[in-house]
Amino acid sequence: MPHLDRRGFLKAGAWAAGSAALARPAIGGAWAAGETLTLYNGQHEKTTRALIDVFSGATGIRVNVRQGSSSQLANQLIEEGDASPADVFYSEESPPLVALANRSMLATLDDDTLKQVPPIYAAKDRTWVCASLRSRVVAYNKAMVSEGEFPASVLGFAAEAWKDRVAYVPTSGALLEQIMAIELLDGRDAALEWLKGLKAHGRLYPTNGAAMKAVEDGEIATALINNYYWFSIAQEVGDANMKSALFYYGHKDPGALISATAAGVLKSSRKQDLARRFVAFMVSEGGQQAIVDSMAEYPVRPGIESTFALKPFDELDPPAIGPADIGDAADALVLIREAGLA
Amino acid sequence: MTLALAGAGQRRPQPVWLVAAALVPVALMCLPLVYVALRSWQAGPSGIVAELLRERTLMLLLNTVALALGVTLGACLIGVAVAWCVERSDLPGRRWWRIAASLPLAMPAFVASYAWSSVHVAVQSLPGAIFVLTIVVYPLVFLPVAAALRGMDPAFEDVARSLGKGPWETFVTVVLPQAWPALGAGALLVLTHMMAEFGALSLLRVQTFTTAIFQSYELQFDSASAALQSAVLMALCLPAAWGEMRLRQRLHVARAGRGSARRLPPRPLGRMRLPALAGFALLLTLSLGVPFAMLAWWLAVGTSRGAGIADLGPAIAGSLGLALPGAVIVVALALPLAFAAVRHPGPLSRIADRLPYIVHGLPGLVVALALVFLSIRYARPLYQTAFLLFVAYAMLFLPLAQSALRASIELVPPRLEELARGLGRNPFGAFAAVTAPNIMPGVGAALALMVLEIMRELTATLMLAPIGVTTLATEVWSHGNDGQFAAAAPFAALLVLVSALPVYVFTRRSSELYDLQ
Repeated sequence: MPHLDRRGFLKAGAWAAGSAALARPAIGGAWAAGETLTLYNGQHEKTTRALIDVFSGATGIRVNVRQGSSSQLANQLIEEGDASPADVFYSEESPPLVALANRSMLATLDDDTLKQVPPIYAAKDRTWVCASLRSRVVAYNKAMVSEGEFPASVLGFAAEAWKDRVAYVPTSGALLEQIMAIELLDGRDAALEWLKGLKAHGRLYPTNGAAMKAVEDGEIATALINNYYWFSIAQEVGDANMKSALFYYGHKDPGALISATAAGVLKSSRKQDLARRFVAFMVSEGGQQAIVDSMAEYPVRPGIESTFALKPFDELDPPAIGPADIGDAADALVLIREAGLA
Repeated sequence: MTLALAGAGQRRPQPVWLVAAALVPVALMCLPLVYVALRSWQAGPSGIVAELLRERTLMLLLNTVALALGVTLGACLIGVAVAWCVERSDLPGRRWWRIAASLPLAMPAFVASYAWSSVHVAVQSLPGAIFVLTIVVYPLVFLPVAAALRGMDPAFEDVARSLGKGPWETFVTVVLPQAWPALGAGALLVLTHMMAEFGALSLLRVQTFTTAIFQSYELQFDSASAALQSAVLMALCLPAAWGEMRLRQRLHVARAGRGSARRLPPRPLGRMRLPALAGFALLLTLSLGVPFAMLAWWLAVGTSRGAGIADLGPAIAGSLGLALPGAVIVVALALPLAFAAVRHPGPLSRIADRLPYIVHGLPGLVVALALVFLSIRYARPLYQTAFLLFVAYAMLFLPLAQSALRASIELVPPRLEELARGLGRNPFGAFAAVTAPNIMPGVGAALALMVLEIMRELTATLMLAPIGVTTLATEVWSHGNDGQFAAAAPFAALLVLVSALPVYVFTRRSSELYDLQ
């Protein structure tokens, strides 16, 4: 008899497990019904959530998000091709969108949408539009180093004097853009030398967030990152408690590069109208306010005020290099490999 | 007739149902191999040579091997010492320590690394990584070795002692050799785990092939260098898988009957009692105390505390919704492999049994990439469904399920099945009626282990999960990425707490299994 019981137990278990396994994909299918958009999001999740909350509240349109790093998602989109479930791609940097545009994977946006931002922040072929701006900076630990010690240009960090005192993130899209800026301003050899110098003397971190945290925790004196990482930690522990500060290069140095987040609509999307509406919303007043309220970035649309104590955009004095000049940053990839960093 | 033949030869033809059932996981395991081969080939012969001869490849090779060997050695030392103390010594409260010492298994390596990396910058180094990973993975060695020590025939030790050998000599010459299969299996798991480890190493800033694969992929999707790095990684797993196989083969002969259930009296620790207790306390403080203290600290100081608390429900649902059916599927796939390897040993079943161990050394990312690549081309309707994710889990965790199952299958005498066959059952009927009910402890242990592993899986889940599905692990990752440590803390704590249940079940099941002996 106990034998029979055990067999019965086995059978019941098998049924339960089998039906649970079948139920799971079925639930997934049911979620996809109704008016929904699918967004591939490389921007920080916090910002995108804030944006979507306002958008969905106003329109009733649901937005499903696939979260990942921007270049990862761009590559996934390339792999998916026409089969992609994505309608909109929101990237933390412009090069991944340029890469998609170069493969003719993006639909053209409405002129009305493009007109909302200064021309330098919209694609000439109208396939993407920038959503927010950020400045490259040097984050430094106030107890470990003072601004007076910094080299005249960000290029000076790739030197013996900064051995184990500068953090860099080779997988960061913004660093790729900075490499492109150096190549455009000072030539290929300067960019390659810089990378080799960073490899020899700097300390490699896996993410910008980790590099910023390392500076704040006093693990390393400086980090080459974007401005908003400092504000993210400051928001978490309070401005007054911050042990680190930001240094802005200005004087058109590649260390003062402005990089942009950007978005575009996939050509393969079967919801072109909805997708366009979402991108239009991103550069509208409501969308821009939601973005700059959640993250210490600069608005791409004039007349929006950030709630963060940002250094005024007019005082940044960046080099005259825009997303179009940086392109898909393929050169930077070659340089990174050549320097042995990847 | 059947009985006599089987008893004499041990080589019986494999039943058709078993071959068919074992072919499914074998075919699945070949998918990432095909993908890696296809992508590598894109580089062309000269490209392959150039990539392999880069200075960077050598650096990655040295780091990967040093880390994998260092952690494996450390885990073996700690695992064996802890196992001996809780099974063979008179350590006070050893029943309690037995459970407690297995709990670090519930601590995901990336959570422990996150905490440790902020304790001191010195931990962010190769020695630091070896330290942190050793204290969280040693249960993979401790559990099988403890089980083996418990099941051991004490007569051998009596003989050794009566021949005048000291306790230490007895341990090395008599006890340890009997524990080799358990130790070898545990060590192989740790070794391949370390080859594939990503999250922890990224946080501790150690560059291995796996972190390099992530980096290559971060920069370029169809990266031939990522594929070549994956190929090297699998090649590194080959000698380990082969060595463990040899160990097991030789021991099959050496194993004497496990007839007597007599237990050895626990060996008194004497003066070592206090140091041993202190060692246990220290081990648990390092592996569990420090990470939990760090989570508590983040909760205390962070202003993002409570952010995303509404996502806790969906994340738990996502974790369990993937882990429970996933565990059942993986164990179902592992069963025929383990069964064939035990009952029908031969070159084919041995390769089928070992193949998953080689793939186990691949990071979740490569498995996910292979599935994206193949499903988009050949199985579009499956793309971004939970089904594909279950397939990925099977590829990643099959060997763990196999190990847990094998021990319990070995305990079922083949005679029982033959009896059922003799009474007119077909081969599958015999398996279902006789074998299956008898291996329940092993199945339970395997299920618990799978639930545990799937719940903490991050990279394949991120890439393959149906859109909108979040898990506790993905939430920890995304909040941590945004610098919201306090927001990440409840998800991390819950992940550890929820994981403690399968760890407990796994430990209990495993010990029940050996108590049957």
